[in-house]
Amino acid sequence: MLKFLKKVGDYATEAAQAAKYIGQGLSVTFDHMQRRPVTVQYPYEKLVPSERYRGRIHFEYDKCIACEVCVRVCPINLPVVDYEYNKAARKKELKSYSIDFGVCIFCGNCVEYCPTNCLSMTEEYELSSYDRHDLNFDNVALGRLPYKVTDDPMVTPLRELAYLPKGAMDPHGVPDSARRAGLRPEEIIEKESAEAPAEVES
Amino acid sequence: MSPGIDLQGSFIQLLTSLGLPPQLAKVVWIPLPLLLMLIAATVGVLVVVWLERKISAAAQQRVGPEYAGPLGTLQPVADGLKLLFKEDIIPAQADPWLFSIGPALVVVPVFLSYLIIPFGQNLNITDLGLGVFLWIALSSVAPVGLLMSGYSSNNKYSLLGGLRAAAQSISYEIPLALAVLAIVMMSNSLSTVDIVGQQSGYGILGWNIWRQPVGFLIFWVAALAECERLPFDLPEAEEELVAGYQTEYGGMRFALFYLGSYVNLILSALLVAVLYLGGWELPISVDWITSLLGLDPATPWLQVITASLGITMVVLKAYLLVFLAVLLRWTVPRVRIDQLLDLGWKFLLPVALVNLLLTAALKITFPAFFGG
Repeated sequence: MLKFLKKVGDYATEAAQAAKYIGQGLSVTFDHMQRRPVTVQYPYEKLVPSERYRGRIHFEYDKCIACEVCVRVCPINLPVVDYEYNKAARKKELKSYSIDFGVCIFCGNCVEYCPTNCLSMTEEYELSSYDRHDLNFDNVALGRLPYKVTDDPMVTPLRELAYLPKGAMDPHGVPDSARRAGLRPEEIIEKESAEAPAEVES
Repeated sequence: MSPGIDLQGSFIQLLTSLGLPPQLAKVVWIPLPLLLMLIAATVGVLVVVWLERKISAAAQQRVGPEYAGPLGTLQPVADGLKLLFKEDIIPAQADPWLFSIGPALVVVPVFLSYLIIPFGQNLNITDLGLGVFLWIALSSVAPVGLLMSGYSSNNKYSLLGGLRAAAQSISYEIPLALAVLAIVMMSNSLSTVDIVGQQSGYGILGWNIWRQPVGFLIFWVAALAECERLPFDLPEAEEELVAGYQTEYGGMRFALFYLGSYVNLILSALLVAVLYLGGWELPISVDWITSLLGLDPATPWLQVITASLGITMVVLKAYLLVFLAVLLRWTVPRVRIDQLLDLGWKFLLPVALVNLLLTAALKITFPAFFGG
């Protein structure tokens, strides 16, 4: 009998505990309801991509020496380099260059290895189209610069978490003038160059 | 306890004074509250769908529907219209008759149950002597429809969903009925009007929730399970069963299921408000206020005010419970099927039985407090 009563008591405490935990959970959910939405209302608000963002690749036609390094380092040999060897000048003359962004994985190897720095990553990420062949960019399309989010009057630019001032979690309502947490890239360079001569002396 | 506003009596009186025989006047009256209730239930669904989406969004720190109408209030209307204009598809291998009857069989009993919801002493479609029992009986019809649509879809997910719905409804019907039985025992009547009447007179202190706290919890958990709301939405668990018995449905037939589930949620919330939260009673008794102000409760303008206050109170209480249900949806994870049946048979049923026995004992011991 005593054993049975103990069982009943244990069961009751367990049930009470479960009810307590559900109550705690409810209070957490309730608390979340009064927080501001963290979502970005996309076509009207856009995040400013970070400076290391690996978006659509930009290509400078005049710098290219048609060495085809980009093709060799590409995991799928994607860039199409069309050139003609000019025997008189003993130089390759680039005729056209294209990358299909429907196939590109944006790994950035080509940008990394390009000997003349004619390739670079932009912050453009809106690459949707009705036909996948529209994403096959030729050298003219690759030479276009993306439209900056901050220049678009229709769009409210929002900063990403890493670019917000210290303590701010939500980009909404943070003033443009508020400095990001930590040092800016140019300040890091400045600091490094100020320290470097000192190291040489010692 | 004042009888309150009597629209039916006044309407019939008006028509007979215009020269109609009283029987004919009653026939003219009958469709009006039915139509009104049908419209009110449908509009209630639109409000609940909007509320659910907005509250869910807030709980997840999103914005929710925003562009269809002010604050997205027209979103459910847009959804409904979209479903209305969609192609009506019956799968080739499905049983066309059962497939079509299934959704109707789920929705009709839910709407029928609105017969017994009182919004005031005389503000209901009918004051049935059977009252709550009718609701319990009607709510057992819905699983037949679910099973029917699950079976006729000729799809293993649908069949499993239908079977789960039936199992769930059967196991939660019993604690639900036992919780209601305790209430009925206290008020000596199955009629919803009498149940509210028994809670009136003392304001918030007279409500059944103080006398039946355990019953209230059991009823609410079982009602959530009956509505297939999130902690118990196993029959349509999308991660396991695609959409359960709704998998093969689209267009208006799917809309019927959708409508039915939300109407059922409102119905359950309304019944909790009626059975446990004093129905149309205000937290402070109206009779008490009127006697304090020295007003005659039969004054017409006062009757209109108390009647509209009563309707507001019922709806307000119901929507508070709906809010709780939405909050619970984003708090509690879904239970497994064995946990679901364990909770129903091994926890709620014995607790509901003990609650019933305790109520009976208390009724004999303290007849003044527990309705002699």
